[in-house]
Amino acid sequence: MVSLLRNQKVRNALLQVLYVGSIAAMVLAGIVIARRNLADQGITSGFDFLFKSTGWDVNFSLLPATANDPYWWYFLIGIINTLFLGSVGLILATIVGTIVGLARTSSNDLARLLGRTYVDIFRNIPLILQVFFWYAIITHLPTPRSAHEAWGFLLTSRGLYIPFPNVGSAAFAAATLAVIAAIVLPAWLGRTSRLAQPIGQRRTIQFAAAAAALACAAIILAIGRMPDTPLLDFPALQGLNLRGGLRIPPEFATLAIAIAIYGGSYIAEIVRGGFKAVGTGQVEAALSLGLSPWRVFTLVRLPLALRAMLPILANQYVWLMKATTMGIAVGFTDFFMIVALTINHSGQTLEAIGILMAGFLAINLSLAAVFNRINKAIALKGNQLRG
Amino acid sequence: MISTNSTGEPALRIENLDKYYGTFHALRGINLSVKRGEKIVVCGPSGSGKSTMIRCINRLEQHNGGRIEVLGTELNDDVGNIDEIRREVGMVFQHFNLFPHMTVLENCMISPMIVRKQPRAQAEATARLYLEKVRIPEQAMKYPSQLSGGQQQRVAIARALCMQPQIMLFDEPTSALDPEMVSEVLDVMVTLASEGMTMICVTHEMGFARRVADRMIFMDGGDIVEEASPDEFFTSSRNERTRQFLSQVLGH
Repeated sequence: MVSLLRNQKVRNALLQVLYVGSIAAMVLAGIVIARRNLADQGITSGFDFLFKSTGWDVNFSLLPATANDPYWWYFLIGIINTLFLGSVGLILATIVGTIVGLARTSSNDLARLLGRTYVDIFRNIPLILQVFFWYAIITHLPTPRSAHEAWGFLLTSRGLYIPFPNVGSAAFAAATLAVIAAIVLPAWLGRTSRLAQPIGQRRTIQFAAAAAALACAAIILAIGRMPDTPLLDFPALQGLNLRGGLRIPPEFATLAIAIAIYGGSYIAEIVRGGFKAVGTGQVEAALSLGLSPWRVFTLVRLPLALRAMLPILANQYVWLMKATTMGIAVGFTDFFMIVALTINHSGQTLEAIGILMAGFLAINLSLAAVFNRINKAIALKGNQLRG
Repeated sequence: MISTNSTGEPALRIENLDKYYGTFHALRGINLSVKRGEKIVVCGPSGSGKSTMIRCINRLEQHNGGRIEVLGTELNDDVGNIDEIRREVGMVFQHFNLFPHMTVLENCMISPMIVRKQPRAQAEATARLYLEKVRIPEQAMKYPSQLSGGQQQRVAIARALCMQPQIMLFDEPTSALDPEMVSEVLDVMVTLASEGMTMICVTHEMGFARRVADRMIFMDGGDIVEEASPDEFFTSSRNERTRQFLSQVLGH
């Protein structure tokens, strides 16, 4: 018996059994307790509530929403709100992070100091405090009557008003997709035609693809334009309120800014690390070939740094996507807040949280999958680390 | 402008070159003049300033004192001069330093296309010509890390040659190679030498030095200690440090 316990394989098997057994026991106990408690409170479990109307409103939605809509529709609204806030936040955070990260790797002392100060401040303050801070600032902006104005943009305590094309929402969505295609298509074409056509021809194809996609966007906007209106709708004061343009509510603006600033400080460090990982050898070789510092940056440092950054960046993006759940702190109806409200109104706690977890898993696993694909596609070929 | 004819003017003239790293005096008033078509082999113990010296020639290191003139253009803070000199001076590094995200062909085409504004077809033709010359035309579409060390170094030589430089610098081109790959790189360098390229090579390959060098330079402690013809250098050096170094390098 003792000698059997000293056998490595037997030991490992026993540990596995113990591990799986204890997890199964915990899950089982949880289910039993939950069932008993639910029965005591007279709550029926199940997903029938999804088809009942909610009876309450959401304050932000990209889809049409009324209090008569069923819960499943609200969940969809929540997921789309989260994805929208997440995308805007991630893009802004990436821009901020790239600028600050480059400042941190710059040879300019002042830029480095500013970059470092930025990272030190915003990385070390909890996100929720930063959310409250930006919300306080935005809600203390002037009223619509005395709004700050610049180039047709209006800054008020009711949100940021921006000029917006006079088109239907479907046309606008289609045009947005076309613009995204204009960005993604050249990159994708650059990869697939890489071996077939060296540099020059590839550029032409990429340029043509981008131009075609942008032309599509312009045509869609022209067709979808509402009859007899100017191309851009400028916000303007009418009575006590602002009419026209697009209103970005303070809650959304707060979260987008907070995620951009907070996420930017982390991404800055990733960007810095990526550039540090580029070998000085490659940079020296590029310089010795007569390439200008700018060309060395765009042709050698940036492409190599990007490859070093991408896996960590994907991780950060997943993290920031989860940070959208801060919506509940300021009352932005993201997925998490919709679930919280659902729990309050319907009492279907377990089901709603199950849907919440499944939703976030789906979002973040897809995000990770996309990044893994990109990562594999641009990974350096070959198996030696030399070079 | 850099003149391309080979009238008496030297390819390279270094006068009283000083280089400091902080307080460390890496180069102590070096003087060296290299004629067009001349092949110089620089050797010396580690830390003697060999690499520092040739890296000053294309401004990968900034010198702190003295004067460097390459093909009649002075190397100073003038960015235009630096660009002009880098266009005409090719360099091969110990660790190859190929661009790992570009194919072999792209590695060779990128600089002629961007710096020399060559059309793609011409750049590709030149690249294939030089890949042929370093005997790896069949690897053009591969990525650097799919090649052996010797092949990578030959690509690096081809990449430098594609700019059609007038001077080639070699900074220990065979030191990072497995022994069986050294000769394939040296063969390419010998061919290049026989075609009249001006070459400055930092290397410890003494067999190569004996075959191609017009002049041997021995450096120690940031100074040029001895300058001699290979014959004289290997057989009858009067310098104590040179003899000691040679006995260590050739000892086995």
